[in-house]
Amino acid sequence: MMIMSDAQNANPAAKPRQVFTSGVKPIFCPGCGDFGVLAGLQKALQELGIEKERVVIVSGIGCSSSMPHPFSTYGVHSLHGRLLPVAAGVKLANNDLTVIGTGGDGDGYGIGVGHLIHTARRNIDLTYIIMNNEIYGLTTGQASPTSLVGAKTKTTPFGSIETPENPTGIALAAGATYVARAFSGDPMHMAQLIKGGIEHKGFAIIDVFSPCVTFNDLNTFDWFRKRVYKLEQVGHDSTSISAAMERSLEAEKTNWDKIPIGLFYKVDRPTYSDLDMTLKNGPLVKQPAPSKQQVLDILEEYK
Amino acid sequence: MTSVSIRIAGANGDGVESSGALLMKVAARNGLHAFGYRGYQSIIRGGHVWYQIRISDSKLRSHGEGIDILIALNQDAITNQKSHLNSNAVIIYDPSKVKVNELDAAKFKLAAVPLLDIAIEVSGDPIMRNVVALGSALRFVGVDIAAFNDVLKKMFSRKGDKVVESNVKAAERGYNCAGVSTLYGIKGDGKQRYAMDGNTALSIGAYASGCKFYAAYPMTPASSILHWFASHEDKGVMPKQTEDEIAAINMTIGAASAGARAMCGTSGGGFSLMVEGLGLAGMVEAPIVVVESQRSGPSTGLPTKTEQADLLFVMHASQGEFPRIVVAPRSVEESFVIASNAFNLAERYQCPVVMMMDLFLSEHVETIDQPNLDAVTIDRGKIVTEQKEQGRFKRYLITDDGVSPRSLPGTKGLEFVAGSDEHDEVGDLVSDAFSGIDWAVDVRNKMHSKRMRKMETMLRNEKGMFVPHIDADGDYYLVTFGSTAGVAMEAVEILRSKGRRAGLISFNYIMPLDEEATRKALEGKKLINVEGNYTGQLAQVIRLNTGIKIDSHILRYDGEAFTGEWIASEAMKIMG
Repeated sequence: MMIMSDAQNANPAAKPRQVFTSGVKPIFCPGCGDFGVLAGLQKALQELGIEKERVVIVSGIGCSSSMPHPFSTYGVHSLHGRLLPVAAGVKLANNDLTVIGTGGDGDGYGIGVGHLIHTARRNIDLTYIIMNNEIYGLTTGQASPTSLVGAKTKTTPFGSIETPENPTGIALAAGATYVARAFSGDPMHMAQLIKGGIEHKGFAIIDVFSPCVTFNDLNTFDWFRKRVYKLEQVGHDSTSISAAMERSLEAEKTNWDKIPIGLFYKVDRPTYSDLDMTLKNGPLVKQPAPSKQQVLDILEEYK
Repeated sequence: MTSVSIRIAGANGDGVESSGALLMKVAARNGLHAFGYRGYQSIIRGGHVWYQIRISDSKLRSHGEGIDILIALNQDAITNQKSHLNSNAVIIYDPSKVKVNELDAAKFKLAAVPLLDIAIEVSGDPIMRNVVALGSALRFVGVDIAAFNDVLKKMFSRKGDKVVESNVKAAERGYNCAGVSTLYGIKGDGKQRYAMDGNTALSIGAYASGCKFYAAYPMTPASSILHWFASHEDKGVMPKQTEDEIAAINMTIGAASAGARAMCGTSGGGFSLMVEGLGLAGMVEAPIVVVESQRSGPSTGLPTKTEQADLLFVMHASQGEFPRIVVAPRSVEESFVIASNAFNLAERYQCPVVMMMDLFLSEHVETIDQPNLDAVTIDRGKIVTEQKEQGRFKRYLITDDGVSPRSLPGTKGLEFVAGSDEHDEVGDLVSDAFSGIDWAVDVRNKMHSKRMRKMETMLRNEKGMFVPHIDADGDYYLVTFGSTAGVAMEAVEILRSKGRRAGLISFNYIMPLDEEATRKALEGKKLINVEGNYTGQLAQVIRLNTGIKIDSHILRYDGEAFTGEWIASEAMKIMG
């Protein structure tokens, strides 16, 4: 809430300020990193001034996937791992809408990782925020696809032996056109990255380190604070996919001593909606059913 | 009724399917009734494939048992098809390629036509041998060569005069070849018809009712629906090939939630992946249509063969309980009608509608009359654009009929979150923080009952829809559903021609089922259950809903399609 009033003071916008809060209390534990994301997304939407009825927040299942409920926009709280196809369906049916996906690392990098790759390569104009806490929270603390080697969890009591996934690397390889990483401990920085993602025409992914204060005592706020640095402060060229890929490998190469956050990569490429033949005539939901004559014309093919 | 069955047999890549399609067009454009079905395997080149076209002067409901005219494109065609030849069958073959010494020359009419030589002579292209053979076949059937030439001209005009000319020449040479003569003389009624398969009729029905979005992962025998939408993208529909069936159904839910009429389709294996999504549609009350075109299972099964063994699966798929509608069109014509109605039902009751097809219905081509386009109406149900009351929009308002007002994203003031968790009237979850607390227990009760009540509302409002159809009266009744209904009707006609008073009761709108009407239709009758599965799944549904147990069964699960003759001969064993 601090952040929102700060933004209000800094920017007494011309547009009447919309209230994006529904009044529903988030289910997050006190101190959860997801509060920062909630605030960051609220701030980004307010700054962008998009009418709330044109925003659809689609989530999967998990702590972070309860994100749509505190918002007063439209939303779909869908299935575990399936938020991207649902979000893509919403966007393809009505490309006038601003569609935002919110979910966790288990949701997006585990059970739903296939959809991540395909939604990225299709460049569907969505903004996907993944609250990455390197643990399964809502199921009470099992290893996640981003848990570090050695991480002790309920399912890896002797330490994880699996190499963690590299989310930004996967997104880059899959063809995402906006790849960023944020840290919930720096919500102002995160809000700008989310805002940039929403403004970006194409598939934007923002991997957010959002520490779980209950089940992950390895990757804590302090742990991240000591390790993250901002790409914009080191002269990173975010138009270069090679430079972005190099930065994506940095955490692993430095044994998690140096972890870059910020904008890794951004490129303008036609979106799925730009290229789709049907959408040249406007959003699907606004296109009328065919006339009788149009059906007869099609039937003629079968004579 | 006179009919003649022509079977073209060869290897994949021999042009068997396109030859069959050509023959269907000749029949459709010349007032004949025709029914085409193909046999093939999951292989791109080689294998043994056939296309059977039955031609008649009246409506056909199956491709028929046995072959009257065989076009044998290779030696396998003789070896594999000889057991299916009717007595006095004609065999058209190229003596330079195919030997017929394994056939008893006295029993058949052997028409040796130098297919390849003629093809090379008129066009230089060996593939033209099929047109030569079709020319010969049509002469035997008694179809005028001019009718064939018209179709060739229409089909190949885009490729230039030379191509048309060589096709016509090839057809005429086959037609006039020595040893080829007219045996049947089937006459059409001069009325032009359409030739299409069930998946095409379904696709056009969906299109006509405003379906804008179709998502699928390729899977036989549903793939041709995706092909249809892809090839009609310029007509205002969006095809979406997805990474898997999970994405297909979830995208469909997204598109439907945003307000587009949306459909996805697959076969049983893909439907297995869609199951969780089906439950999501039930919970968030998203109006989606799902096509499940059955093939022989379980697992990969027989990918290119037919079966009706997914009925109970589809009726019970997903954890928990939620309202759903399960329909099974009984013919190509009904595939159009039910597809166009499916979206009305989905939107009226805000629930998933599953259309059960099967390989036989999806893929067999039939000549049909023009569908009644005036009967296609669009009812989008309780979509609202404003609410009178103050406060947050109650998307899941508890109502007497169970159907709540629905708003679409973009509508100001009616924002809500559709949740897969149990939720209250405005869509707030009761699951995470409140389940088990008295008021939340009450919300769950009311919300679950509200959703389930829609099943009763459907039965009440859609009078005469979810009931069995008594298609013919008799002493014995064949009882069946979906695609088998047509073939069973043909069996009834055969049985009657043999003096047996056979009747038919068929089901198309299967879930929810009107128990009272079903009991009334079946009670006190001698019933024979006919289904394409091992366990008699419809009979189980009937027993569950009415207590009526059917003891006689005609069940087929070898992957081959039913024919009227086959059902009739099995029924005779039961009827005595």
